[in-house]
Amino acid sequence: MNLPVAVDALGGDKAPDEILRGTLDAVAAGVPCVLVGPENLASLTSVDISSLDVIPASEVIAMDEDPAGGVRRKKDSTLVRAAEAVRDGKASAMISAGNTGATMASALLRMGRVKGVNRPAIATPIPVPGHTPTVLLDAGANAEVQADWLVQFAVMGSIYAERRFDIARPRVGLLSIGEEPGKGDTLRKEAYELLAVAPGINFIGNVEGRDIMTPDVDVVVTDGFTGNVVLKTLEGSLKTVVKALFSAFGSSPDLKVHADALLPALLPLYESLDPDTYGGAILLGVDGVCIISHGSSSARAMLNGIKVAKEMVDSGMVEAIRTAIGLISQASDAAGDGR
Amino acid sequence: MASIDRAGIFAIVRDQLSEILEIDPGAISEGQSFVDDLDADSLALIELVEALEEELADVVAGFRIEDEDLQDLKTVRDAVDYVYGRVSSGS
Repeated sequence: MNLPVAVDALGGDKAPDEILRGTLDAVAAGVPCVLVGPENLASLTSVDISSLDVIPASEVIAMDEDPAGGVRRKKDSTLVRAAEAVRDGKASAMISAGNTGATMASALLRMGRVKGVNRPAIATPIPVPGHTPTVLLDAGANAEVQADWLVQFAVMGSIYAERRFDIARPRVGLLSIGEEPGKGDTLRKEAYELLAVAPGINFIGNVEGRDIMTPDVDVVVTDGFTGNVVLKTLEGSLKTVVKALFSAFGSSPDLKVHADALLPALLPLYESLDPDTYGGAILLGVDGVCIISHGSSSARAMLNGIKVAKEMVDSGMVEAIRTAIGLISQASDAAGDGR
Repeated sequence: MASIDRAGIFAIVRDQLSEILEIDPGAISEGQSFVDDLDADSLALIELVEALEEELADVVAGFRIEDEDLQDLKTVRDAVDYVYGRVSSGS
């Protein structure tokens, strides 16, 4: 059955208009979608949504609201109803550009975790010019982690990289402060030992921050605190560099002529670095597909995020994670590890 | 309406925690702190609360753990005592 992707119509800084435009574009591209929003949604926008079904939800969890508390209090919110639609088999996947923590909490509490997964992780594609992106996880779901969770992140990130970017045997790196196995804190050293013997992953050792945007690694695992700092640092740095570049190009009429000549080469590069191109992050480890889009998502970002949701459903990603986590749990049990 | 004693409540809390935290139920005891001993984060505790509400709805209709009471539940014993108190009073 070709179930629709449930779209949180009121999530994000540009909701509902950009969200709705992106949804209509996705439907036009062949991906069935169902909106989740208030019954009077059509009156809140100038976008014609008469062709789309709406799952009713009367509440919204605000961007700055406490995630878990919001999900507890607002059981008729767009996020909770979207997650329930997936749980109840009314939708194949969910996507939201709203409150990241609440999106995660909704998915976790309503869809549940894949059996054996300790904690879900947020995986974010980091652009690499001229190459497939690097998958960074955890990008913010778990501020503190245990070493064996990082092994699960490596397994889930590898499956996502295989299915999302067609990478065979993705190379997994552990983010640390040096390439040698002994580098890093206790958590990193312990994780290195576990990753080195974990079945089903292609672990290449430690990587450093400078490696993330290179073709030398496909999946980078770290704790959610570090991952989020890395993500925000990269986003901020790229914006600053691009702004400075355009400012330098426009600083004199002579330079502007040369800049105009370079633009055809620079624009595709700029597009490859634009987060909207990848449609957002994905929550791995929950029992369903959940896309977490950037709060400032445009219609283009939503279109791409919805396409990714559909691709991940069709690829059987969740089932693959279930099987792989089962295998490493068995291996862990056999090794006498109680957790 | 079914009834349940304190030991039954502990068994439910222990089994739900075991499921949520992916740990051996035998490793969970009443004196343990959710955060310091069991490494449960706030989301795991919300998972526990929702699971308990769902499971105990058969025992006490509309059973609910109030959000404002959550901050007082620091240990497994706190949770068992709280839930037993609510179930016993039928609230």
